[in-house]
Amino acid sequence: MPRLLRFAALMAGLCLSPLLSAADIDEASYGFPLTNPFEATIATTPPELRAAVPDDRDIDQADYTLNLHPERELEVPDNFWPVKTLRYRMAKQKGPAPLIFIIAGTGAHYSSTLAENLKKVFYGAGYHVVQLSSPTSYDFMTAASRHATPGVSTEDADDLYRVMQAVRAQHPEVDVTDFYLTGYSLGALNAAFVSKLDETRRSFNFKKVLMLNPPVNLYTSITNLDRLVQTEVKGISNSSTFYDTVLRKLTRYFQQKGYIDINDAMLYDLQQSKQHLSDEQLAMLIGTSFRFSSADIAFTSDLINRRGLITPPETPISEGTSLTPYFRKALQCDFDCYIREQLIPMWRARTDGGSLLQLIDQVSLYALEDYLKTSKKIVVMHNKDDVILGPGDLGFLRRTMGDRLTVYPHGGHCGNLNYRVNTAAMLELLHD
Amino acid sequence: MTKTSLLLAMLLASGATYAAEPVSAPGVAAEADGFTEPLKALKFNAGLDQREFERSTLDALNVYDPLESVNRRIYHFNYRFDEWVFLPVVDGYRYVTPQFVRSGVSNFFSNLGDIPNLLNSLLQFKGQRSMATTGRLLLNTTIGIAGLWDPATMMGLPKQSEDFGQTLGFYGVPAGPYIMLPILGPSNLRDTGGLVADFAAEQQINFLNVAEVSQDHPELFLLRSIDRRYVTTFRYGQTNSPFEYEKVRYVYTEARKLQIAE
Repeated sequence: MPRLLRFAALMAGLCLSPLLSAADIDEASYGFPLTNPFEATIATTPPELRAAVPDDRDIDQADYTLNLHPERELEVPDNFWPVKTLRYRMAKQKGPAPLIFIIAGTGAHYSSTLAENLKKVFYGAGYHVVQLSSPTSYDFMTAASRHATPGVSTEDADDLYRVMQAVRAQHPEVDVTDFYLTGYSLGALNAAFVSKLDETRRSFNFKKVLMLNPPVNLYTSITNLDRLVQTEVKGISNSSTFYDTVLRKLTRYFQQKGYIDINDAMLYDLQQSKQHLSDEQLAMLIGTSFRFSSADIAFTSDLINRRGLITPPETPISEGTSLTPYFRKALQCDFDCYIREQLIPMWRARTDGGSLLQLIDQVSLYALEDYLKTSKKIVVMHNKDDVILGPGDLGFLRRTMGDRLTVYPHGGHCGNLNYRVNTAAMLELLHD
Repeated sequence: MTKTSLLLAMLLASGATYAAEPVSAPGVAAEADGFTEPLKALKFNAGLDQREFERSTLDALNVYDPLESVNRRIYHFNYRFDEWVFLPVVDGYRYVTPQFVRSGVSNFFSNLGDIPNLLNSLLQFKGQRSMATTGRLLLNTTIGIAGLWDPATMMGLPKQSEDFGQTLGFYGVPAGPYIMLPILGPSNLRDTGGLVADFAAEQQINFLNVAEVSQDHPELFLLRSIDRRYVTTFRYGQTNSPFEYEKVRYVYTEARKLQIAE
């Protein structure tokens, strides 16, 4: 009898597993033109292939302010006045509608291009939309984060949750039918942890949670990003830096074109021209943008917690004070440096301590494996050529998410989020 | 019996789906999950100890800025002015006017701006650009009804900005110290001089009588300022970085170099 049961279980497993396998979008039918992951990440979709979205002037939207940590007013130097209160953006529909929260990616502002695009997609489909800055962003860290040391995913989710509750409380007049949640890049990982938290706090009862290009192992992702500035780039010498090289190419490109025209299609067009950048240079550019994020995080976290690693505590800082000396220090700190110098010491002091490996397990998607397996409301979209993934990460998602994972053959890191095939799929995934 | 046939049917069905998608069986090796390892194709520095990001960025921070303390205060003043006065006014403007009026206003002032564009193109002996800008002025002022409409761009003559700061740069005048101008934003000594020269030239030429009328009707000047802010997409805080001042300074400096070289 037990043998029969075991056999039945095996058969059931065999039958179910293929039914639950991820939706792999094949290359031929997908039609995304940028097969180079670095180009896709930087240039994103060519304008003519982007989704049709409502124009900004047709969206009833405004920026609002939350004062979550009044004590920061005194703790933080005056020239950070713009971020002592937390801003967010909300777009409202006329009548009752579902509301979706968008969490931005690493270091990103609520009004970053990706978040704006997602807002337009969801607003066009009839959602109220709330855009939130990433817990790793300068404004969120200063105004909303309790410890201002982002990276412990459960703590970041807690901070986000408080913000979302405050947003809800600020707009009692908005008629919400159901709550939805999405995020891209690190924001997608945040979304999963927020959803988990919501299972116990129950303020929102999210109907669906859409994760776009999440990191799986956070440490793999930041190691990859830190490494991007280590590519072999040609054209640099003692007198000419990497930026000079890129600007030289850009200047020549405009000279050949005959006039300066900076628009959405420019990067795509540049890559089709003689002055196109090599993969190594593109990777370096992506890495550079993330290094600026890590510099901001390292500086802000150090300043608010008075750790004295970058800014000596009690340094008088007024609106006229040059921050350049601190910028010089902060820009030498990559994500790994931030984790070792600031995140781990704080995490050890607050919990009973542990190794880097334990931290990685706690803050990565691994920590939510069982929840992700059983929670049918969570859906994931990812790309096979995303630079933030490492070997085995997609496998983890396939095993954990089953048929709630959609994998695209191209797109790099978030480069296809404005491709009309993807936006249609997002709305579809939230709908059913 | 029914159980067995059901099982058999399910088994067959599962076999069929398996064949359609062989890679997603659970527990297979990492490479089989479809990940294409984009970083593998890149050439990395062997020791992973390249300091090019640091070197480039440290170098980019070297912009001649002797008035930094004052500049930073003006930057904060501008930030507040923008938040508390300028942007609310622009929002009000957007609220009370329909879109076609706003684009008419933008086109009108943009057409006025083609006069200094033409002058400065001529001063730099940029023949083709001068011709194109002359064409724009003729088309937009006539068919475009005094510039309210911009048919020239649609006909393939895009606007090409040239100001006196660029002309000075073209003749080798160095940028001089970086200057944050109240309300107008980032500039440098050369470009501030250029701004004054362009303004004086506009007063002299008095194209479409606008300069003269503006003297009696300051509201025209006000409308122009509002339109200027309306068409400028930059928002303070949009870099979302504690080092926005440094970033704006670098981008302004490099953008001007690019405009002069082009």
